[in-house]
Amino acid sequence: MFCFIALIVFAILGIFSASHRALAKEAFQCVFRRVTLRACNTGFKEKMQAKILGKLINRSSRVAKFVSHRFELLAWIFFILSIVSTVWVAKGVYDFYVYGNCNGLNSTGFCAFDPKGNNSAVSTISTRPCSLKPPTESDLTLKNVNVSLFPTKNTQAKNKVVLIGCYLCDYTRKAYPLIKKFVTENNVQYTFAHYPTKSASSYLTAYVDCAYQQNKDKFWEWNDKMFASSKEDLFKPEYVQSLLGKEGYDVGKIKACVNSQATKTLVNKQIDQLVGTGVYGTPTLFINGKAFVGPKPYRVYQFGLKPFLFF
Amino acid sequence: MDLQHIRQDFPLLRDNKIVYFDSACQSLRSQSVIDKIVEYYTDYPACGGRSMHKLAARVTEEVDAARATIAKFLNAKKKEEIIFTRNTTEGINLIANSLGFKSGDIVVTSDKEHNSNLIPWQVLAEKLGIKHLIVKSLPDNTFDLAAFETLLKKNKVKLVSIVQTSNLDGVTNPIEQIINVAHQHQALVSIDAAQSAPHEKIDVQKLDADFVVFSGHKMLGPSGTGILYGKQKLLDNLQPFLVGGDTVASSTYTEHEFLPVPEKFEAGLQDYAGIIGLAEAVRYLQKVGLEKIAQQEEELNEYLTTELLKLPKVKILGPEDAKQRGGIVSFYVEKVDVHQIALMLSEQGIMVRSGQHCVHSWFNAHQLKGSVRVSFYFYNTKEEVDRFVRELKKIMNVLL
Repeated sequence: MFCFIALIVFAILGIFSASHRALAKEAFQCVFRRVTLRACNTGFKEKMQAKILGKLINRSSRVAKFVSHRFELLAWIFFILSIVSTVWVAKGVYDFYVYGNCNGLNSTGFCAFDPKGNNSAVSTISTRPCSLKPPTESDLTLKNVNVSLFPTKNTQAKNKVVLIGCYLCDYTRKAYPLIKKFVTENNVQYTFAHYPTKSASSYLTAYVDCAYQQNKDKFWEWNDKMFASSKEDLFKPEYVQSLLGKEGYDVGKIKACVNSQATKTLVNKQIDQLVGTGVYGTPTLFINGKAFVGPKPYRVYQFGLKPFLFF
Repeated sequence: MDLQHIRQDFPLLRDNKIVYFDSACQSLRSQSVIDKIVEYYTDYPACGGRSMHKLAARVTEEVDAARATIAKFLNAKKKEEIIFTRNTTEGINLIANSLGFKSGDIVVTSDKEHNSNLIPWQVLAEKLGIKHLIVKSLPDNTFDLAAFETLLKKNKVKLVSIVQTSNLDGVTNPIEQIINVAHQHQALVSIDAAQSAPHEKIDVQKLDADFVVFSGHKMLGPSGTGILYGKQKLLDNLQPFLVGGDTVASSTYTEHEFLPVPEKFEAGLQDYAGIIGLAEAVRYLQKVGLEKIAQQEEELNEYLTTELLKLPKVKILGPEDAKQRGGIVSFYVEKVDVHQIALMLSEQGIMVRSGQHCVHSWFNAHQLKGSVRVSFYFYNTKEEVDRFVRELKKIMNVLL
């Protein structure tokens, strides 16, 4: 078994060092003999064992003796550990490719392929009511949530995509172009729910509702422009109104709508519904009910929609 | 012998970090030998025996002096009896391919020959149909002179090609008696002196040896150097083995005229630096004194043998009496891989050889996997032997 573990270790080290490459070759010859049901008589194991013991004996004769007498057992243990870690690494690579994080969907754990955690970063919702326990990925759901309260397009499509985001959230703004592309390229029912992460952007929810009510077609273009606008501008209601005006909206009616009691009631209802989703940060994209938290790579959204794309 | 002073002559030994017990494979080189080689490459790196300029003349002069030094070292009648080769193997191959063997000719060797003195005869047996007969050693691995004599009485032997000191166990064969017996039966004798020339005085005239071959790299000389001594009348009648540049006086498109010995055997440009370095090595050995060298090695062997015999499971190859094994202690530990011992010793800074030492035939016949071989030279010390024994005990404790 030592030859197997040696082949794995030296093959990896051999990427960087020629001397280890030669050892990997020797280990391979030994492995080849073993898999072809012949005894490994190349002396490789004895050579490596002697080198290891030679180093160990300088530190502790007792440890060297322990290793010497259990060399094969230790080789087995290392072999199993290396297989387990290889499977683990393979799973990490798969998870990164499919979910954008080595640790699985919506994990915020460290991932070597995304060391800064860009694919999992979210703007925490500060306006969310306090709860006794911190929200987790398993709490995210659209069950019992009335999605029809929010702007929606392509309602006939079978696949349903719901974006919960905020105009002033950095990560929603980063993810938005990809989400827009995703929604455009795929035949999906698309719902946008504005969930203000900061109190300063709370006023925008009413504008979203009123713009959508006044003209459903123009709404999506205005929505794109809102995400394309600078954050400084979006703090100002005048800017938002002028943007509506440029899209051909009746700004006067919009103002009246925003200040109406009905809109306030609707906004409160919407917030209640959003709290019910368990969303703890934006952007959160639900694809057919499955939540993707943070700005994911495009392929992740595609896999979310077509899980068998990978194969 | 002033060991402290001598060890300072060897760069690797100056700081006492390395214990070098593999001189039977290749000895260390003294600083004087290294300097002599560097001198050639620095001061006169030219062709010998060809060009006429003064650098070439210096090379010719140095090579000639080297030949004379080696001739004196062996007490050869003439320096022309000394032929420079690459090593012992080449010397034996030269004899095997030049002596004019034909089908049915008989060559006798011992059963402990290095592959260099075994394979050439096996190949000639296959190619030309010569007969290769082997004298089996006595149970204590010493030479069976009686069996040898009987074999020569019964067979018309052309050549006895025999090792003087075995690289396997250090046993020295009774070479003088072997030569006497062989000559009584009109057989020529070629001595493989690879393990004896570095350690003891060889007087080719006193021995009446027909051929003597040895390597430079086991006697402080550079690797790639060797010597073939042959009686001139024999060398004159040998056909050259390697031919070409510098072996002929003249040639036409169809014919050639060989130069006399030694040139006709030294084809192509020679390893001048090596030859000059080898002569310096011989001068160094003569300065130290071969008798003192042999005495030092014998003392070390006795000391180590005594210590090894105290260790259970250690088996020494050859006779237990260290005096019969020169500077070599070849041993194995029951149920322990010999390479493991050598590698673990290497990690402790002690260099020994492990395996079958190019005497596979003997190990195969005795169903042994190999041995650990400690081979001393005059620069080794008792303190080094102590260190070796200490480390060996630790290793055995770990492995057993």
